[in-house]
Amino acid sequence: MSELYVVFKVEDGEYVLPASDVLHMESFAGATKVPGTQSYVAGLIHIRGRVVPVVDLRLRFGLPRIEPTLDSRVIVVQSGERTVGLLVDSAREIMKIAPEGLSAPPSWMGGESAGFVKSVAHVERRPGEKRLVMLVNFSKIIGQEGIYVDERNV
Amino acid sequence: MSSAFDASEFLAGYLVEAEEHLSASTMNLLAVEGSLRKGENNPRAVRELFRSLHTIKGLSAMVGVEPIVDIAHAMETVLRQADRAAGALSAKAVEALLAGLRAIGERVRALSTNAPVAPAPPHLLDALAALEITKNEVPQAVELDLEPAVLGKLSATEKAQIIQGAEGGRRALRVDFVPSPARAAEGMTITTVRERIGTFAEIVKVVPLSIPMSDAAPGGLAFALLVLTDVPDEELAAAVGTTPELVRRVLHPRPEGGADPLDEPSSAEEDVGETEGRRRGVVRVDVARLDDALERLSALVITRFRLARAVDALAAQGVAVGELGDIVKSYGRQVRDLRGAIMRARMVPVAELLERVPLIVRGLSRTTKKPVRVAIDAGKAELDKAVAERIFPAIVHLLRNAVDHAIEPPAERRHLGKPEEGLVRVTCFERSTNQLELGIIDDGRGIDREAVARKASRPVPENDAALLDLITQPGLTTLEQATKTSGRGLGMDIVRRAVVEELGGELSLRTTPGVGTTFTLLIPLTITIVDAFSFVCGDQTFVAPVAAIEEVVEVAPAGLVRGPSRHTRFGEVRFMERRGEIVPLVNLASVFSLASGDEPKALVVRRNGTPLAFGIQRMVGQQEVVIRPLEDPLVKVTGVSGSTDLGDGRPTLVLDLVALSGALSQNRTEVPV
Repeated sequence: MSELYVVFKVEDGEYVLPASDVLHMESFAGATKVPGTQSYVAGLIHIRGRVVPVVDLRLRFGLPRIEPTLDSRVIVVQSGERTVGLLVDSAREIMKIAPEGLSAPPSWMGGESAGFVKSVAHVERRPGEKRLVMLVNFSKIIGQEGIYVDERNV
Repeated sequence: MSSAFDASEFLAGYLVEAEEHLSASTMNLLAVEGSLRKGENNPRAVRELFRSLHTIKGLSAMVGVEPIVDIAHAMETVLRQADRAAGALSAKAVEALLAGLRAIGERVRALSTNAPVAPAPPHLLDALAALEITKNEVPQAVELDLEPAVLGKLSATEKAQIIQGAEGGRRALRVDFVPSPARAAEGMTITTVRERIGTFAEIVKVVPLSIPMSDAAPGGLAFALLVLTDVPDEELAAAVGTTPELVRRVLHPRPEGGADPLDEPSSAEEDVGETEGRRRGVVRVDVARLDDALERLSALVITRFRLARAVDALAAQGVAVGELGDIVKSYGRQVRDLRGAIMRARMVPVAELLERVPLIVRGLSRTTKKPVRVAIDAGKAELDKAVAERIFPAIVHLLRNAVDHAIEPPAERRHLGKPEEGLVRVTCFERSTNQLELGIIDDGRGIDREAVARKASRPVPENDAALLDLITQPGLTTLEQATKTSGRGLGMDIVRRAVVEELGGELSLRTTPGVGTTFTLLIPLTITIVDAFSFVCGDQTFVAPVAAIEEVVEVAPAGLVRGPSRHTRFGEVRFMERRGEIVPLVNLASVFSLASGDEPKALVVRRNGTPLAFGIQRMVGQQEVVIRPLEDPLVKVTGVSGSTDLGDGRPTLVLDLVALSGALSQNRTEVPV
C-alpha cells in the first residue's frame, strides 16, 4: 500500500513527511520569538487557536538563514503529545510512495544533519525523470534535546 | 427613595439576591408553561415561585422599593391561590406573571445603575388582580397513609406533589430517621441524610416528630422523610441507617367515602421558613475574595519553601532535625489540599450556568416566530467561575444562530416532514478530569457549504473542519448579515475566540444538510487568569502578572551608578537608589538578547528579599489575561511561564520575572569587556 506524503523544500533538498502526521499547512507571517530557546526555534505562532512552536528547518539543518518569502510554509506536524510547526522554503506537493520505494539513507548523509533523514526514495517525476526525496525524522528534528540547557550555565 | 440606600453594601446584597430569585422564578415559570403544554400542573414550580416572590417582596420592602413590593405582592397573591389549587395556572396567568417578572427585573436593574425606579405599571397590577385561579380536579383514587401528626404538616400542594409523583411512576415512600450522638459521630445527621437522599430521591417534606425516649433515640426525636423515588427500599433504608422493613408506602387506594387528601386547607406561608432551611449551608462569595485567599495561600507556599530550605540547611550542618522533615512534608501536603479546596470553591455547577438558556431560547423563539423546544442535559458537571463567565457568551451566540438561522420556519419544517417545533439541545459532560465537553445541537437545516463559500468568495470547503475554519473567519460576519439568507457565520469568530483563543479549548462542527448541526466545545474546567501589566521591551510586547511586580518606576539615567566591571553575559548591571535601598538594574532586552535601547521605565521584583529592576522600553497597559502554559520542551525556558493572546492574534509571552531574577542571580558570571 502506497502512502501519501507531503513534499517540501529546504534550500535545494526535497523532503517528505507522511501526510497522516500533518495537521495543517499555513503561510508564514512571523512568529513570537521566545528568548533563551535554541537558535533554530523560530518562535510561537497561533494556528487555529493552538499555540505552536515553530522550528526553522533551515537553521535546524545548519543552512544559512533567509528571509521568509511568499512561498514559505509552516507545516504543522503532530507526533504523540507534541504539535510542532516546521518552517520550510516551500511546500506544494503531495505524492504517493510505496514502502518498497524507501531505502536507508546513504552513509555520506552524516555530519551535522546526521539522523535527520530516516530514509530516501527515488521517485519518478515524469516518465524517465527521477528525483531523490528524503523522508525526515520528525522526532529527531523536534529534539530529544528535552529541556533546554541554559547557555549561560555553560 | 429613602436613606436605606446609603447602605450600599446592603443594596449590593439585595441586588444579587433579587437577581437570583428572579432568574429562579423565570425558570420555574417556564417549567410551569412546559407542564401546561402537556396538560399538567406543576405544583412544585408554583410553590417555588410563590416562595421566590414572597422573598423578593420582603427584601424589597426592607430596601424600600415600593414599586417592586407592589408588583411582587400582586404576583404573590396569584401564586398563593395557585398553590392552594395544587398548582393550577392558566396560560394567561403565566403571561401576566412573566410580564411581572420583567417589570421587577427592569426595576432591579434601574436600582443597580442608580436610575430612578418607575412606579408599578397599573395595567400590570390590574391584569394580575383580574386573574382567576380555578382549582382543577386531581383524580382522587388514593389516600395518604400517614398519621395525623405527619399528615397535618402537609400542605395541599405537597399532597398533590406526592400523588402526582406516584402517578408519574415513582414510589411515594416514608422513612424515619432517628438522630443520636452515635450516629452524629459517624457523620449521620439530618443534614447529611437529606443530602444523601436528595441524590436519588425527591424529598417532598421532612416532618420532625417527638417519639418516646429510648437508647436508640436518646433525644426523643425522629424525622419522617416523605420522598418520591425509583430506588429500592434497601437504598433508602441504608441512607437513614435503618432496615428496609421500616420503609413504608405512603399511598393506598382510597376506600369509598374516605376523606379527600387535598381537603385540608393549609397555609402555604408557614412553609416559607422551610425553604430557607433547605438553602442553609449555601454561601454566596465574591470571586475576588477567593482570589484573595489564593493569593495569600501563595505566600504560605513560599513560607513552606523557606522552611524546607532552613531545615535542609540545619541538616547539612549536622544538626539533628528529628521530626522536622516530616512535619515540613505534611505541611506541604496540607497547603496543597487547601489550594485544591479553594479551587473547588470557585467551581459553579454547569446546570446553574445554563439556567438562563431556556429564557434566551424562548425570547429568540418569539422574535423569530419559530416554535423551539430546548432540552438541557447538564448533569452534575462543574466549571470554574471564570471559565463559566467566558464561555457563556459563546453559548448564547450559538443558540442565537441555531434559532435565527438553522431552525426552519414551521411551514417549511412541516413541508419537510419534520415536527413543527424545532429542537435545540445543550449537553454537557466531563470528558476528563480537566476538560468539559459542551454540545449545542439543533435539528435545523444544516449549513450549506456552497452557500457559505459563495458568500465568502472562497472555494467550497471539503469537510466540516474546513467549513468551521471558513465560518469562523472574522470577515465573514458582515457578509452573512448583509444577505441574511441561509447559513451561519454571525459572530462565529467570537465563539472561536472565546473557546479556542481565550480558553485554549477546541471547537468542532458536524453538520448534515436537512438534518441539523452540532457544535462541540471542549473547554478546560479551570484556567489561570491573572491581572497583568503589558509592556514593550526590545520592540516585543510582553506581559507579567501584576502580583509579581513590586513597583513600576521611572529610571533617571542621572541617578544610575555603574559599579566596576559589572558586565555580565546579560548586559551591564547598574544600580539605582530607591527609598534608601540600592536596587540593581538590568536591561530586560539585553537579558533576552533583543535589540536593547532606551529603558525609561523599570519593573521592580523581589526574590527572597532581594530586589531587582528590569529596565523596559515602555508600559502599555494593565488587563486580565488568560495564561496558557507552554508545554513543549522546545519553548520551555526560565522566565517565560506561558503565552496569552492580547487580541492581535499573535501569541504574547507571559514572563515570570521573579524566576528570571533567580536565574540571573545564580549566573552572575562576570565577563571581560
